Parts: sequence; structure tokens; C-alpha cells
Amino acid sequence: MLILALKSLWARRLTAGLTLASIAISVMLLVGVEKVRVEMKESFARTLSGTDLIVGARTGQINLLLYSVFRLGNPTNNISWNSYQRISQHKGVAWTIPIALGDSHQGFRVLGTNQDYFRHYAYGRNQPLQLAEGRPFNDTFEAVIGAEVAQKLGYRLGDPLIIAHGAGNTSFSLHDDLPFTLVGILAPTGTPVDKTVHVRLDGLEAIHLGWQSGRKTLTLSPEQARAADLTPASITAFMVGMNNKVQVFGLQRAINGYRAEPLSAILPGSALHELWSLLGIAEKAIAFIALFVVVAGLLGMLTTLLAGLSARRRELAILRALGAGPRHLFGLLALEAALLTTLGVLLGLALLYGSLQLLAPLVQAQYGLLLYPGLPEAGEWRLVGLTLLAGMIIGLLPAARAYYYSVNDGMSINQ
Amino acid sequence: MKYIAIGLTALALLAPPAWADDYSLLEWDDLIPLEEQLNPPPFPEVDHEDEFAIPGQPIGKVVPGLNGRKVRLPGFVVPLEGDSKQVTAFLLVPYFGACIHVPPPPTNQIVYVEYPAGALVDDLWDAVWVTGTLHTVGASNEMGDAAYSLQGTSVEPYQI
Repeated sequence: MLILALKSLWARRLTAGLTLASIAISVMLLVGVEKVRVEMKESFARTLSGTDLIVGARTGQINLLLYSVFRLGNPTNNISWNSYQRISQHKGVAWTIPIALGDSHQGFRVLGTNQDYFRHYAYGRNQPLQLAEGRPFNDTFEAVIGAEVAQKLGYRLGDPLIIAHGAGNTSFSLHDDLPFTLVGILAPTGTPVDKTVHVRLDGLEAIHLGWQSGRKTLTLSPEQARAADLTPASITAFMVGMNNKVQVFGLQRAINGYRAEPLSAILPGSALHELWSLLGIAEKAIAFIALFVVVAGLLGMLTTLLAGLSARRRELAILRALGAGPRHLFGLLALEAALLTTLGVLLGLALLYGSLQLLAPLVQAQYGLLLYPGLPEAGEWRLVGLTLLAGMIIGLLPAARAYYYSVNDGMSINQ
Repeated sequence: MKYIAIGLTALALLAPPAWADDYSLLEWDDLIPLEEQLNPPPFPEVDHEDEFAIPGQPIGKVVPGLNGRKVRLPGFVVPLEGDSKQVTAFLLVPYFGACIHVPPPPTNQIVYVEYPAGALVDDLWDAVWVTGTLHTVGASNEMGDAAYSLQGTSVEPYQI
């Protein structure tokens, strides 16, 4: 029967092929949307761990989270070094990591920080950063780069790095008088850390000496720069770890009400939750569209099968005359529908994973979104299963019609 | 309030549901020592000279007797750690959302919950029941860092 069904489909390969393609494309869309949704959440959620508060200039909590952790969007303002010092000495604070953003190197963001970054920054499930090669920076003009920076730019330890002013892909004002030396390469993390060039805060301060008018007005030698006072005037944000997590709300309130400067303190976990709830609406809308595309694909299959049925009356009648019972015809038609759906789903998955394989590096480079072309996850299997089930149920309709065609019906000449 | 708690506990013992094996139902007031309930600590003095002027959070003492008790406590989740699907560490608080008109709940009205099994994120929008073993940590009360932590054995949506 399977062979007969296959041959029957082959005999109508044009319509069957088109039906197959429409199912494949709709399944590709449905599963692809689910995949991007899950992977996006996953990659966001695994970026930061162990940090209790993020403090930045007064802004919305999602905005602060996006620019300080994910390097998405731009900081609204910097915060003063004094406020940072003051808050980091609060008795409830265990550790802080300062963050200064705003410059770039070949399109990769440069992040000014200190040794505490390598000590306390954690991602995933409280995994600390690890160096694949070299060591953390010790000197003003040393840099540590993320795994992806190293891979893309082919850098080795000891290479010089010139930092560009501004955060674009390229810049026409370079800090080329004061190059940095690469001393460490971090192990891959699958987070924005991979795409970051880390330098010391005083290094960033040094390259901005003589930039007080917004453009470079004097060129310095490293020795001259070192001789200057390199205490930063401001930083972009900082991360806070608490001694006792139950005091996090207290410190958050104290920082939000801090009189000397308008600051915002956010809990990264709840900011991320707020982001999900905002994105949830758009996510649902897209999922609905994908769902309806699948429904349209399956309805297309139903139309093709039903339309084909009246053209196949004679064929079915001949099968009956050769001894096939109505049950056989029912089985044959149901099997054809099931085959179409199954092949369509398989083709769709193959297309999706094939294109993922091709597009994943591009998507990661463009949007920082890591799409693992790994095996489908539970949610995807559920969608695939539902599609298969729906296709098989729909196939029962033409099968039932075939069941009721009698021999006589197909054999008579003028029907 | 106390009587209600006792009453509820008694009720729970009379008709023990599946979860009531050896977990006692706790109310948020039970986490505050009796003398503090009768005599609330003075509101922290506002120092008008200090830039950190807003007093952060009232410091409350813990009830030492609760250390090691197996409890069941309802509350709202403020997620701290986890991934896209589940939350493995969170703060349990008695009311939802941060009300910015008054200070946050005192330190003895927040429970740090570790739940390695992971609570499904979708269940966390509403109140939850948290079951597990309560611990009092950091006993040095002058520093104000005494607090409750809870090793969670189950987290489920709140149903009355």
C-alpha cells in the first residue's frame, strides 16, 4: 500500500510537489520562529549571572540593562566617579565592576573596567570568565579581548591595538598615538563578552587626554599620558554584588533616591523579566502568523487532494474492480495525505536547519544572536508533531470521500 | 493574626493535603520576632546632610527558632538567577511589585530562595507556594545582615 501511495503521488508529481513545497515552507516558518524565540531568550538569559544590581544614569530599567550588559543601544549618560566610589563603599556591597563604554576597535566595543571584572563577572550558571591565553591586564596600555574578536581579527598575544573614538563600525578619529598591547584572550562564552575589547579605566582615560573639546587637540606619548592624573571623571555604569541579597531592595531604593546625582539601579533578573513580558505580545503575534501559514499550507493540501479525487474517480473505480475494498481506498488516500505532510515537514526542517547552518554566523555577527543549529528542542518537536497530526486528520476527509465512491460511480461513462 | 496562623496550621493538620507531610504552613508575620511585632523598630533617622539620604530598608531581626524548620510559605517571586525557562534563585516577598512610595519590605520580610531544580518561568507571574527548609543566616545583628534563606524543594502556583 505504501508503495502504491508513493507511486500514486509520483504520478501527480507536479501538484504533489507544489503541495509539498507549501507545507515545507510553512513548517520552516513555524519552527524557525519558535527557534529564534527560544534562542533569543536563552542567549539573553545566559549573559549575566551573579550580579545583584546594575547602576547607571537615570533611565528606564530595560534600557540600562540593554546598553550595559548587551551593548545594545547607547548609554543615556555617564555617572560620576564620586558616586561610584561612594556606593561601592556602602556596607552592603560585596563587590562592584565599573563599566565605561563609548569607544570601539574595528567595530567591536571597547569596555573600560578593572581587575574586578575578571574576578566577579559571571555568565550562564554562575560561570566565571576564563582566559584561553595570556593574563588579565596589569598595565594602563594593556588589553584583553573576547574570543570572537580574536578569531575575527586573527590577533595574537603581543599585537598592538588602536582604539577608535565612537562606537560605529569604523571611525575617522583614531586614538593612534597611544596603542594598546594585547595580553590576554578570553575563552568563548557565547555572550557579548566575546565581542568586547577590555582595557583598564585609566587606559581609556589616557587616550582621551587632549580630547576635551570633542576632537583630538594634542598628541601624547605613552610616557606623557602616564604622568597625567588618570583617575576617570566618569564611568557608564557599574555592576554590584551584595553581601546579603535580601538587602538588594534597600540599596536599590537608596541609589534611586541618591541626592548628589540622578541614578538608576536595577535588578537584572527582573529587568529581563520585564523585557520578556514586553516582547511577549510581539512574540505571540508572530507565532500566530506562523501558525496560520501552516493552516493555509494544510488547507492547500486538502484542496489539492479533494480536487484530485474527482479526477481520479476512474482510477479508484479500477482499483475497486481489481479487488480493492472501500477500506483499501480509504487507507490509500489517508496514506497519501500522511506522506505529503511527513515529507513536507521533513523538507521544511531540512530547509530550516540547512539555512541555519549557513546563516547562523551571519546572524551572530549582525545581531549578536547565537543560533545553535543543533537538534530541535521540545517546543519545536511539539509544533512538528501537531502539524503532522493536523495533516493526517485533514487527510481523512478525502479518504472518507473515496470510501463512499462505489465501483459503479467511477465506471459509468458520463458522470 | 497569630491565631489564624495556628488555626490554619491546625486545619492543615486535621485534613492533611498531599504536601502537608512535615511542612508547616508559615505566615509572613511568623518571620518577625514577637517583640518586634509588638514594638516595631523606629523608622531610620533621615540625615539631611547625607547624599544617601533616603533610608534604604528597615532592618528586621530573625526568629532563631525557625532555623532548620521545614516550611511552606506563599509569596511573590523576584527572579535573580536562571535561564530563559526556569528560575533557580529568587527573592520571595509578601507583595507584588516595588511600591516606590514606602521603603521596601524589612529584611526579615524577604526570603532568599535557592531552588536548584528550577521553577518554570511561566508559573512566576502570580503568587506561588514555596516549600522547603528555612535557614537563618548571618547572625550578627548589628550589621543588619541577618536574614532568611530557604532551600526550596518545591515551587508551585498559589491556590487557596
